[in-house]
Amino acid sequence: MSFTGATEASPASRVEPTAGQWLRREARGIRGPLVRTGVLSALLALALVGQAWVLSGILAMGVLAHAGFTALGGLGLALLLLAVLRFALAVAARRSAFQGAQQLAQRLRARILQGTQALGPYGLRAEASGDLITRLVDGVEAILGYFARYLPQASAAVLVPALLLAFVFPADWLSGLILLVTAPLIPLFMVLVGRAAAQASERRYAQLTRLGAAFIDALGGLVTLRQLGAAERFAAHLEAQSEEYRVLSMQVLRVAFLSALVLEFFAMISIAVVAVLVGFRLLWGEMHLRAGLFVLLLAPEFYLPLRALGGLRHARMDALAAARQLAALDALAPGGAAPQPVGAPVNLTAAPKICLEAVTYQHRGRAAGLRECSLVIPAGRVTALVGATGCGKSTLLNLILGFARPGQGRVLIDGQDLATMDAAQWRECIAWVPQHTHVFEGTVRENLLLAEERADARALERAALESGLGAVLARLPQGWDTPLGERGLGLSGGQLQRLAIARALLRARARVWLLDEPTAHLDAEGARSLERMIRAAAPSRTVLLAVHRLSTARSADWVIVLREGWIVEQGAPDELERGEGYYARLLQAEHA
Amino acid sequence: MSRVLPPMLRRLLAVLHPERSWMLGGAALAVLAALAAIGLMAVSGWFIAAMAVAGASAAAINYYTPAAAIRLCAILRSGGRYGERLVTHEATLRSLSRLRVWLFRRLIPLAPARLAALRSGELFARLRADVDALEHFYLAVLVPGAVALASVATAIVLCLIVLPAAGLAVLIGALLAGVLVPAWLQRRAAPDAATAVREGGALRGLLLDALRGHPELLAWGRVSAHGARIEQLARQLDARRARLEVLEATGGALVGLCAQLTLLAVLGIALGAAHRHTLSPPLLVMLALLALALFEVIGPLSEALARWSATLTSCARVFTLADTPAPFVEPEVSASVPLRPAVVFEDVSLRYDEAAPWALTQVNLTLAPGARVALVGASGAGKSSLVAALLKLYPLQHGRILFGGRPLESLHGDELRRHIAVIAQHSVLFNQSLLENLLLAAPQATAAQIERAVSLAQLDGFVASLPDGYDTQLGEAGALVSGGEARRIAIARALLQDAPVLVLDEPTEGLDAVTARDLYTALDAAANGRTLLLITHRLSGLARLVDEVVVMEAGAVQARKPVAQYLAEVGG
Repeated sequence: MSFTGATEASPASRVEPTAGQWLRREARGIRGPLVRTGVLSALLALALVGQAWVLSGILAMGVLAHAGFTALGGLGLALLLLAVLRFALAVAARRSAFQGAQQLAQRLRARILQGTQALGPYGLRAEASGDLITRLVDGVEAILGYFARYLPQASAAVLVPALLLAFVFPADWLSGLILLVTAPLIPLFMVLVGRAAAQASERRYAQLTRLGAAFIDALGGLVTLRQLGAAERFAAHLEAQSEEYRVLSMQVLRVAFLSALVLEFFAMISIAVVAVLVGFRLLWGEMHLRAGLFVLLLAPEFYLPLRALGGLRHARMDALAAARQLAALDALAPGGAAPQPVGAPVNLTAAPKICLEAVTYQHRGRAAGLRECSLVIPAGRVTALVGATGCGKSTLLNLILGFARPGQGRVLIDGQDLATMDAAQWRECIAWVPQHTHVFEGTVRENLLLAEERADARALERAALESGLGAVLARLPQGWDTPLGERGLGLSGGQLQRLAIARALLRARARVWLLDEPTAHLDAEGARSLERMIRAAAPSRTVLLAVHRLSTARSADWVIVLREGWIVEQGAPDELERGEGYYARLLQAEHA
Repeated sequence: MSRVLPPMLRRLLAVLHPERSWMLGGAALAVLAALAAIGLMAVSGWFIAAMAVAGASAAAINYYTPAAAIRLCAILRSGGRYGERLVTHEATLRSLSRLRVWLFRRLIPLAPARLAALRSGELFARLRADVDALEHFYLAVLVPGAVALASVATAIVLCLIVLPAAGLAVLIGALLAGVLVPAWLQRRAAPDAATAVREGGALRGLLLDALRGHPELLAWGRVSAHGARIEQLARQLDARRARLEVLEATGGALVGLCAQLTLLAVLGIALGAAHRHTLSPPLLVMLALLALALFEVIGPLSEALARWSATLTSCARVFTLADTPAPFVEPEVSASVPLRPAVVFEDVSLRYDEAAPWALTQVNLTLAPGARVALVGASGAGKSSLVAALLKLYPLQHGRILFGGRPLESLHGDELRRHIAVIAQHSVLFNQSLLENLLLAAPQATAAQIERAVSLAQLDGFVASLPDGYDTQLGEAGALVSGGEARRIAIARALLQDAPVLVLDEPTEGLDAVTARDLYTALDAAANGRTLLLITHRLSGLARLVDEVVVMEAGAVQARKPVAQYLAEVGG
């Protein structure tokens, strides 16, 4: 089951049971708090019964015996004590439910993190769109709401009516019978009327959410709309869209609300029938007033939990949606993180020679990454990897980073198989500029220090100067302390690139430089100064560049040309340029 | 009534004024349903007691009327509730649509110069939450508030008729449970709540970073350190939220306690009155049950109150934003633009706000009709600012821009922009079909024009590969197409606009050499006869598209030279 397929393509009806099952399975993990909450709400119901009994006693005495204020004495005190008890129980029940839900949420957060680790560095990024990752993280909140609110209420909706019934029957069997008969009727009717309606209203709810997102999208794209002169037209479009939605929804809601009507109708009519029947038997002297009042007081409480549940339906829908995503993640990454094998310690004193021996790597469910690639990346030189987007350049870098193991063949570092080496120690030796730089939440400084926490202010300044980030910083009012990331300043492509380069430069001890499209988004001057810097650093390092801009490749000592996972050419750049091969054709295209 | 409301809420109600009959109708039905529920319990209590008294004394009693009243209450309650839900939803959907469209129209002239929110993720998220709060104002605040007020008022009037002292007890109890307790709790929770929101945002950010930035963390050996940060913040936040939850639970339980205390007070007063024979005993039961049922509608009031103050804050922010004066006063009648306009910048200086550095300093630049010019320079040199100024999106601090000989002030912004097609660095695609996205700038384009623009933008293969062709939905923010495809869709969209001036901002960034070359060839054909302004870093292929190069540096034009000379100098 693919991640995107499970969450977007499949119709809700088919996936629903899976999401429901997932929630039930998770519930088992917090059985303790759930049981405790159940016991507390049962105790709460018992206190309620006690209160009704005392109150009906007071009222009956007041009505029949004209007992005055003094009659309140002992019973009044009992009423007060029961009220305080209910107060304490209510707080304890909510607290216990919330604690359980929080435990679960903590475990879920840990599992999401573990899942990504098990999937490997590119696992989740490759499987899920950025939007899905957001939904995964936000889904934890929805799950918390479900277990803290919906589930306790759902169990109360079963437990409390059953308990109350046990007390109503001895007091008045006829009223008990009325409640008993209507109680199962309500879920039955709600199922009959409500199944289709509930699904329809769930779809409406999802659509409403989408409509809201579309509006926010439109606000985000307002500048584009103005440039296109389409803003006013788009406003009309938004208006028409929400009008259409309103008309359609109201058609559905007219039916969907019927299930609530059924519930309300049964509850109210039962109370009315109980009251009228009790009244007549009181008139005929077949019953005591206290029993009658007791039953009347409990009748509305009998339906209350079920009615309260209706108001929490959105919590359930949100949780089901979130459960679908989380269940899909579980399916992708079963069994948590794979144990990291401890490899041989890495002790590099000089720049290493990197060799690939007939390496083949296949991406899951996609075109080949690399096919039987054999190559040598010499120390002290600049090697450039050239080819169109998707030809396998980044894959090759990832294999050298130890992010993935070759399907066949070996990666050798100074003759030693990378698979036998300690991956973490090996990465300590690498300065890497990724193709897509992620900006972490935090200041510019914090973003840089992530790559090298021991770097001091001087090292930071030097990295900023050499990468061109310094010029960017000079224009920011808060300089090094400017917050970045999703909730901070957004960087342009060129600024982002400089940030990535500065990060890599901070790793001063790195003997291996892996630079993925380092000159992308840079202007000609910026690209040239970066090339100069790479050249200057090269003698004491092993440098591998992945580029699609050929002018950068021309400054390298050695060029390897990749096409659809195969190595089609390699050689010195001027040699290749004079040839008739793919490289020469690419170069002609760029210069034509 | 509306006079007692804060001014910002009055503004909100004014926007929603056209939907007032739906809103009032929904609130009225909600009140009716609530009163029926309270009535059901009160009348039932009275009826049972009266029947018991009659039974004991063997007196005659008219039981038809109360029995009918009980049934009536039951039917009014269920029917009223159904009607309430339908009408309040109708009112909500209508006001939601009205509010969004109103806000959207208000923000159009402000973008982007006065809308900092569009540039910062955090501000934008806040705007989103604010609009959300306003949309829920009616259902979450107004309706429960109206129900509680009307119910308490009715109950007190009833008490005043039957037993005034009981009325006083009910009033005190209602005030305590509905206003004082929630207000006190809210004040106690406020600092923790604010911190929890902030920490929640931070935790979410850390988690997203852990997932999206996993490769980087792995490469730097920071996976477990980052995990520890998450763990620590999560523990802190969880403890805080547990405290808040207990506080909220206490608030809910306190309302129940208030109900019981009120009941005790009413019982004491009513029992005394019954004992003194100033109150008929069945009315004693009625008062007791009335008091109990009343607190059912007071319970939701605490949440409504909590939302009330949040709504006020949101209201203030949204209306302050919507009331921001537009950066330009557009002329009543726009001057006409010649068929082939020249573009002239005279001494143009621009900065985005008072504190910001100058983006453009005294730029002088003339583009003759049909000129083809590349704008080069380091990032931040002012290339994009020059385009923004030309598009009349930001007011100039100094100098002026002439378009077709007319100063921009005499041209209506929409009219001006109709003559300039822009392919921006971040052209946004909308969650519509491909065709709708293409037609945004040119709703009247014919099929042949569309085909031509699509083929010029190298998009025909992509369109042919789509299952639904032009009707394919592009997803939220164009999420279903790749970056390169999105770029080409934006190019086709701009070409459809058929404007005499074409502005291209890095059209080939991220495309490989072959695709980029083909695109330049296509743009060369498409730009035929038009003025072309190309912003780029990429020097290769420049000569096939432009005749001249303008070099910018630190917000100023540093040099202008023929393309061949420039390329020779930089050695590209």
